[in-house]
Amino acid sequence: MSGREARREERLRAEERDGASERRQRMVKLGSAAAFLGLAVVAVLIVVSQSQSGGKVEHASEVNRELHDIPQSGMVLGRPSAKVTVLEFADLQCPVCQGYSEDVLPQVIENQVRGGEARLEFRNFTIIGPESKPAGAAAIAAGEQGRGWNFVEIFYRSQGSENSSYVTDEFLTAVARAAGVPDIARWNAERDSRRVLEEVADSKSQAESLGFTGTPSFAVEGPGASGLEPLGTPESAGALESAISGAG
Amino acid sequence: MRGIGTFLATFGIGVATYIAIADSGGGAPVCIAGGHGCQTVAESSYSHLAGVDVAVFGIAGYVLLLCCALLRGDGARIAGFALSLVGFGFSLYLTYLELFTIDAICQWCVASAVLMTLLFVTNAIRMLGYVGTER
Repeated sequence: MSGREARREERLRAEERDGASERRQRMVKLGSAAAFLGLAVVAVLIVVSQSQSGGKVEHASEVNRELHDIPQSGMVLGRPSAKVTVLEFADLQCPVCQGYSEDVLPQVIENQVRGGEARLEFRNFTIIGPESKPAGAAAIAAGEQGRGWNFVEIFYRSQGSENSSYVTDEFLTAVARAAGVPDIARWNAERDSRRVLEEVADSKSQAESLGFTGTPSFAVEGPGASGLEPLGTPESAGALESAISGAG
Repeated sequence: MRGIGTFLATFGIGVATYIAIADSGGGAPVCIAGGHGCQTVAESSYSHLAGVDVAVFGIAGYVLLLCCALLRGDGARIAGFALSLVGFGFSLYLTYLELFTIDAICQWCVASAVLMTLLFVTNAIRMLGYVGTER
C-alpha cells in the first residue's frame, strides 16, 4: 500500500469514527429527552392519583371483616327475626358518632346483634352542615345494595373535620368502593334520587319529633318497650345493652 | 439485555394480569404469605386511576416493554428506557403509598415493583451501553 492510499484509508476511518461518535451523541441527547418526558409522565400520574383520591379511606378491610357474616337489609344490621330494634340517629360528619361507632357499638354488635337479640338501624340526623345530607344519601344508596353499614363504618373511620369540604363525590365514591358496593353506577344514580333525599329529610324530622337535639341519639323498640322509646345518648355500651335487654 | 427484558416483561404481564383479574368484581389478590394487605390495598382509593384499575395500566406498560425488548434498534432502546422509567417512577410512588398512606403491603404489588425496577435497570444499561452503536 502506498503512502497516499494509507493516508486515504486513515482519513476514512477517522470520518467513520467521527460519524459514529456524532450519532451516539445525538442518540444520548434523545435518550435524555425521553428520560425527561418519562419523569414528566410520572409527575402527571401522581398528580392525577392524588387529586382523585379524595382523602384517605381507612380500615376498610377491618370493617368489612367485622360485618361480613351479619345480615343487612337497607340500613338495618342484624337478623330480621330479632325481637328488639335499636334506631341510631346519627350524622356521618359527627365526631361523637365516630367515637360511638368505634368504642360503643362494636360491643353491642358482637353481643346482641350478631346473636340475633337485636337489630340496629342507622337513620340520618343531618345537623352538622350541608355536607351531611349527601353523605347520608350515599349511605342509604349503599344500603340499597346491602352495604349500608359497611359504608357508614368506613365513612366514620375516614371522617374529616366537620364541613371542611372533604365530602366530595370522589371521597364518597372511594368509601362506596371500599365498602364493596357492587354497582357504583346504580349507587351514583340512587344517592341523587328524590326518594333517597326525602328519606334523609324524613329521618331528620323523626329524630326531632322524638325530642332529640344531638347526635348520636338512640331509640329502642321491642316487646318490653312501650312503642318507640327514646334513649338519648347512652353513656356506655353497657347502658345501651341494658336498654336493649329491657326492651326484649 | 433484550432476552432479560423479554423474560421480565412477560413475567410482569402475568403478575399484572392476575392483580387485574382478582380486583375485577370487587375482589382482591390473595396474599400468598397470608394477611389482608392485598385486600386493603385493592380496596384503597389509590387502586384506581381515572376510574381504571392501576393493574390495567401495568399490563399495558409490560406489553409495551415486551415489544421494546423484542425489537432491535435505537428507537426500541430509547422507548424501552422511557417506558421503564415511567413504570419504575410510578411503582416507587405506589410503594410509598402502601408504606406510608395505606399502611398495608400487597405482595403482588411488591413483586410488580421489583420487576419494574429490574426492567428499568436492564433498559438503562441497554440504552446507555448500546444506543448509537451498530449492535
